[in-house]
Amino acid sequence: MSNKRLNLLPVWAAISAVIIIAGIVLMALLGFNNSLDRPESKVFDVHYNVVVDLNEESKASLETFCEDAFADAGIDFDSVATLSGQSDPVSLNQSTFSPTGNNFVLRYTFSADVSDEALASAKAAVEAAIEGDEAFLLPAETYVSFDTYTLQPMNEAMWRGAVAVAVAAIVALIYVAIRFGLGCALTGLVACVNDAFLTLSVFAIARIPVYAFAPMLYAAIAAAVSVVLWLIRSMKLRDDAKEPSAGVLSAEESVANVCKATDKTVWISVGVLLAIIAVGALCTMMTGAAAVFAGALIPVAAGLYSSMLLAPALHVRIKAHFDAIKRKRTRYEGKKKAAKNDAQA
Amino acid sequence: MGKKKSVALLVIYTLVVAVLCFICTVSFSYGTDNMYTFSSIMRMMEKDADLGLAYGANAEAGTYLGGGYSAVYYPEGVISAKEYDDNIDGMSEEDAQEYAQNYVRYPDENGSVYLEKGVACNDDGTMQDSFREAFGEALETVTQRYAALRVDGARVESVGDYAIGVFLPAMMDSEYSAISAFAYTGEFNITSGSDEASATSLFTIRPNQTIRDYVSRVTSRTAGETSYIEIVFTDAGKDALAAATASAAETAVTLFFNVGDTNVLQLSVSETYNENTLYISGSYTAETANTVAVLFSTALDGTEEDLALTPADAYFHTALYGENTVVMLYIAFAVFFVAMMAFFFIRYHRLGFVHLYTYLVFLFAMILCGWSISFLYLSVETFLAFLLTSVLLCVSNAVTFECARREFALGKTMTNSVKLGYKKCFWKLFDLHIVVAIIGFLVYAIALTSLQTAAFVLGLGAAFSGIASLLVNRFGWAVMMGTSKKQGAFCNFKREEVEDE
Repeated sequence: MSNKRLNLLPVWAAISAVIIIAGIVLMALLGFNNSLDRPESKVFDVHYNVVVDLNEESKASLETFCEDAFADAGIDFDSVATLSGQSDPVSLNQSTFSPTGNNFVLRYTFSADVSDEALASAKAAVEAAIEGDEAFLLPAETYVSFDTYTLQPMNEAMWRGAVAVAVAAIVALIYVAIRFGLGCALTGLVACVNDAFLTLSVFAIARIPVYAFAPMLYAAIAAAVSVVLWLIRSMKLRDDAKEPSAGVLSAEESVANVCKATDKTVWISVGVLLAIIAVGALCTMMTGAAAVFAGALIPVAAGLYSSMLLAPALHVRIKAHFDAIKRKRTRYEGKKKAAKNDAQA
Repeated sequence: MGKKKSVALLVIYTLVVAVLCFICTVSFSYGTDNMYTFSSIMRMMEKDADLGLAYGANAEAGTYLGGGYSAVYYPEGVISAKEYDDNIDGMSEEDAQEYAQNYVRYPDENGSVYLEKGVACNDDGTMQDSFREAFGEALETVTQRYAALRVDGARVESVGDYAIGVFLPAMMDSEYSAISAFAYTGEFNITSGSDEASATSLFTIRPNQTIRDYVSRVTSRTAGETSYIEIVFTDAGKDALAAATASAAETAVTLFFNVGDTNVLQLSVSETYNENTLYISGSYTAETANTVAVLFSTALDGTEEDLALTPADAYFHTALYGENTVVMLYIAFAVFFVAMMAFFFIRYHRLGFVHLYTYLVFLFAMILCGWSISFLYLSVETFLAFLLTSVLLCVSNAVTFECARREFALGKTMTNSVKLGYKKCFWKLFDLHIVVAIIGFLVYAIALTSLQTAAFVLGLGAAFSGIASLLVNRFGWAVMMGTSKKQGAFCNFKREEVEDE
């Protein structure tokens, strides 16, 4: 298997290229699926308790009125929350909010494609139900409204994140170049860029719902995992290069030996990472944090892909090229030395 | 190392770990009627508003549930339908009729706002183009302000095409001030005089000039405990300031810093000020100084025609991820911890204690940093970064143990095996940690908000993991192994069996 995967560079490159190109196109056209951040939504608000206190029973009946009205209108809400009213932020002398204690909103959030007509009919039904209930005698006590909320993009965090990941990966690979040679750094750089883009592309293509901050976090994880996994291979490559037999091995044989010796470490490292992230996702399954954990599985998997398939296959070519340069230089230096000796003789 | 010395060091090491464990994790109440509370570092550590649970020092669990505050900015000429109803309810029929004639419900009879005729809409109820344009500019300014705050979770939304919804997480010291201040629109200007009413403008702005011809930028800085606003003037601005404060040595002059018609701060000057940069400190925190600086900075591009905004409808929202997310994260950590210790104890027997002590030192160092470094807080992202560095430490320790195991199997003494094992893997582990730390700290230096914090935790965790694995672990190993007579059995290391020829 080892040798076979090393010869399939065009296949791995094609797979990566297809996914990344499709991903970049989708990122440019549609961006990521930031539905967790609700880029556009419709909110249906029932303001209550404006004049007098509402008992718990009436609060519950408000929810029933709303949910019955939504069912009649044939619409489903995404979430419901009770918001407590705060002092209006109109003074510069005050520094913190304080609850009014008599002003609440029962807020239902719908997806943006729910029609205004359906919400209007639900509004009318809720108003009628409130009017028909003796518990809500004062008309100003409750108020029903609906609006469309559209999130305004704040792109600075996104592009700064992308620059940060790129700069960090390049500097880390300069360190790799100093410690392990230019060949290793080049392979690492390609693997790192591949993993970061592959991760972003998978999110863009599969339309996996993410929070707005998450894509760059995942790209950073992909870059870090990629560099670390390639470092494991690079260390073994350097160790093997010190062996006396290293000179007689071809680039393919060297890389195959390294893969054979380090595959287990890579599998174990990635396995542990995947298991821990999966545990995080499972433990937080009932909360919104599960999506953040679950998404982190993809960059780790991307790192595994490039570490097992793309990077070794690419490094065979790069190592062969660098070995050829090295041999040429050795021959040239040998000739130069011989010429010098002849001249001295 | 002698046995007595090992035991003594082990006792000290254990006591240090126990004290750290106590300080970091144990909270309790004491005194008459539990009047006093000892809060652990974990309890005092700041939490992301998205996670819920208590936030900030000594916050009681359950009293404050993360989340954040929202408000709606209504432009002039727009009032909510609720406010309209409330206003009209208290009026006589005649007044109500007159009042109603000035407003049109928008966008239709089910709309949530009313537009004032002649201000926001035409007589036929359609929105004025000038209003639409001004609203677009106001929305852009408000978005720019909230983005410049660089607070994780800050949001700006357009409500239909007639109002602006804003949200700030309850992680700030003064969300109210920010939401309140960011509603101010108009041009930044400075006036001087003995009182606000009679104060005159510092600058004579000609028709082809703007305030930018006098003030180049406004930023905020923090040096040590002091935060201040820095206003940088152009030469023309500097001259105007010097002229306005020329008589300050005799009679104190007050400078009023306004956005539009609203006075945001005032400064009493008692000597001539002839510098390009004016520093204003006072009772600002880094956050409030930044808020005012962002307000002034964006108002440098403001104009008299800017739409006035009124903040209203403020509500508290519960945590985005749910109230119990912190507990769930602790459970996830517990599962990881148990699995990690099970692996180390099964594979390395009592050597597992060495890893346990090393890991605890690493863990408490991270907790102490999370508490003491002001911009760090517990969030899902930072927790994820912490888990990644925990894995790094576990792998590093396992690698050192395996290297020593191999040496021991070849017949070397335990002391030599440990020495050689570390020698063989030292630079590999060093490289591994350096690379992760480089990535973490560089991303921290460039990125913003949640990614920045998570990256710092990754860098810090990698640094601590390196120190823990290469120094603390080796120290713990030497100390603990010194207490055992059968060192091979202590570590579950076995000699390689060699067949007799």
